[in-house]
Amino acid sequence: MTAHMGHRLTVNDLSAGYGETDILQGLDLDVPAGKITVIVGANASGKSTLLRTMSRLIKPSRGHVLLDGKSIHQEPTRELARKIGLLPQSPIAPEGIPVDDLVRRGRHPHRSLFSSWSARDEQAVENALIATRTFELADRPVDELSGGQRQRVWIAMALAQDTNILLLDEPTTFLDINHQVEILDLLVDLNQSRGTTVAMVLHDLNLGARYADHLIALADGKVHVSGSPEQVLTETNVQAVFGVASRILTDPTSGRPIMMPIGRHRMIDQMTE
Amino acid sequence: MTTVTLPLNALATGRRVRTHRQRVMVAILIALVLFLFVLTLTVGQTVTPVADVIRVLLGESVEGASFLVGTLRLPRALLSLLAGFSFGLGGVVFQIMLRNPLASPDIIGITFGASAAAVFAIVVLAISGPMVSVMAVVGGLSVALIVYGLAARNGVAGTRLILVGIGVAAMLHSVIAYVLSTAPAWSLQEAMRWMTGSVNGAQLSDTAPLVLVLIVFGGLLFSQHRDLDALRLGDDTAAALGVKIAKTRIVVVFAAVGMIASVTAIAGPIAFVSFLSGPIAARLVGNSGSLLIPSALVGAVLTLGGDYIGQFLLPSRFPVGVVTGALGAPYLLYLIVRVNRSGRSL
Repeated sequence: MTAHMGHRLTVNDLSAGYGETDILQGLDLDVPAGKITVIVGANASGKSTLLRTMSRLIKPSRGHVLLDGKSIHQEPTRELARKIGLLPQSPIAPEGIPVDDLVRRGRHPHRSLFSSWSARDEQAVENALIATRTFELADRPVDELSGGQRQRVWIAMALAQDTNILLLDEPTTFLDINHQVEILDLLVDLNQSRGTTVAMVLHDLNLGARYADHLIALADGKVHVSGSPEQVLTETNVQAVFGVASRILTDPTSGRPIMMPIGRHRMIDQMTE
Repeated sequence: MTTVTLPLNALATGRRVRTHRQRVMVAILIALVLFLFVLTLTVGQTVTPVADVIRVLLGESVEGASFLVGTLRLPRALLSLLAGFSFGLGGVVFQIMLRNPLASPDIIGITFGASAAAVFAIVVLAISGPMVSVMAVVGGLSVALIVYGLAARNGVAGTRLILVGIGVAAMLHSVIAYVLSTAPAWSLQEAMRWMTGSVNGAQLSDTAPLVLVLIVFGGLLFSQHRDLDALRLGDDTAAALGVKIAKTRIVVVFAAVGMIASVTAIAGPIAFVSFLSGPIAARLVGNSGSLLIPSALVGAVLTLGGDYIGQFLLPSRFPVGVVTGALGAPYLLYLIVRVNRSGRSL
């Protein structure tokens, strides 16, 4: 495997959206190299739009996404695809495609029309399968796998792409809690063993705070606050970003903050009254 | 960083089994195409010995066989073959690109666009020869643009494109019928060509240029096969893998429509060959490898086989499009029912 120099991904004064309306409105942020960054925020806060713009699926209407100081929207698509990998929210597996063949597609940006399958391609696919513990599944059709297995296969495909930065759009959605933890643990493994910079959108604030080195909270198309989970996950910030009162406790296992929302019912003093 | 020592053969073995199966299926398809091609040349109302067929093909003059094989059967077999390749290949690239088997050019009106333009050129403008093909290509591309334009609203949704296309196809079908009805001198057989496709009365001089068309546009499509493979994983994934989606789409649409329209200008919109070939090929060779060649071969089997059945195996003679149409319609129904039931795209 290639030892990458950490590529630096930054976002400058970024506005982007679909059609006429901008969802992101002049957003700035840094994705620290070699770390795990988690982006959180309420629905429609622009999380997915941000991730999609950072992986150049959306063209910004203003501002830039910079990779090592160069705008990614000016770089040749194929070259960029060797540096930034993306796992979109709902990738599509052709009916009956075996795991091995799907993961092989990850080599696309490294191959040209006439180049044949190289030893390096083979090695990358193998490493990706081993790292995601999907090697044993290699011959199985993707559509016969469980949700957690399938997600690991998609991550394997993104790994075969052999990029230094991996972006993931809600990689744990629709998974049971055991598979959610499994996927996030896997991403930590990859971050630690390969030095891959991971940036992902997560819906679950507490899992985000547990797994992030760097937490970014979006509100109204802007970064409301970013920093360590302890800095970001405060009662005031939760109120501002999600519009809900909460208490912040410390998770006894990870030592990270966890957020407990406060509603109108089911409070101890109400129940004793 | 860990480099795992290779438990290598595990991957390679599984892959070999799969590619072996694919190769066997492709070999069977090639054999089937050759068989049907030779069958069309040799066995009709009368049987011509293979030796005589070969002598005719080599340019010798053989009494009783030269006209039958050289003038009647060869152009017909060649046109069937080329039309099958073109419809099969042009169909599957559309289905792959839009990730829906219903998005084939014959369902969404592109083939009828080419047919309507050809029939308009012949009947109303009294044009003949290569200009008809040019008109057909222009007609096909225009319909592609119109369907795309009508379906595009905040991005093109596959389902909307298909529904718009089906509507446009129905309109064009009635345009063809109208234009044909203003030309009283035409025979029913000729009219059938422009409605459902036919290789009757094929001529070598019309057919031979299609070889060039197939090489140019087919080559262009093959140059996109890896990008098409990536597109099957969804537009987002393909873009993340470095595919320039807009560019790939333009090349694929242009080449596929150019190819299909050129064939349609000679053989008409042979019903459902584009629509059927891809899914049949996928069923036969699986979804691991590229479907372009298998689908082209299936297209040729359908056209050659359909024409042979229509000529000799039914109580009266039917053009090829009637036979392929009869095969395609039930499959169309099956797909629609299945999509409704499982609620997913195919």
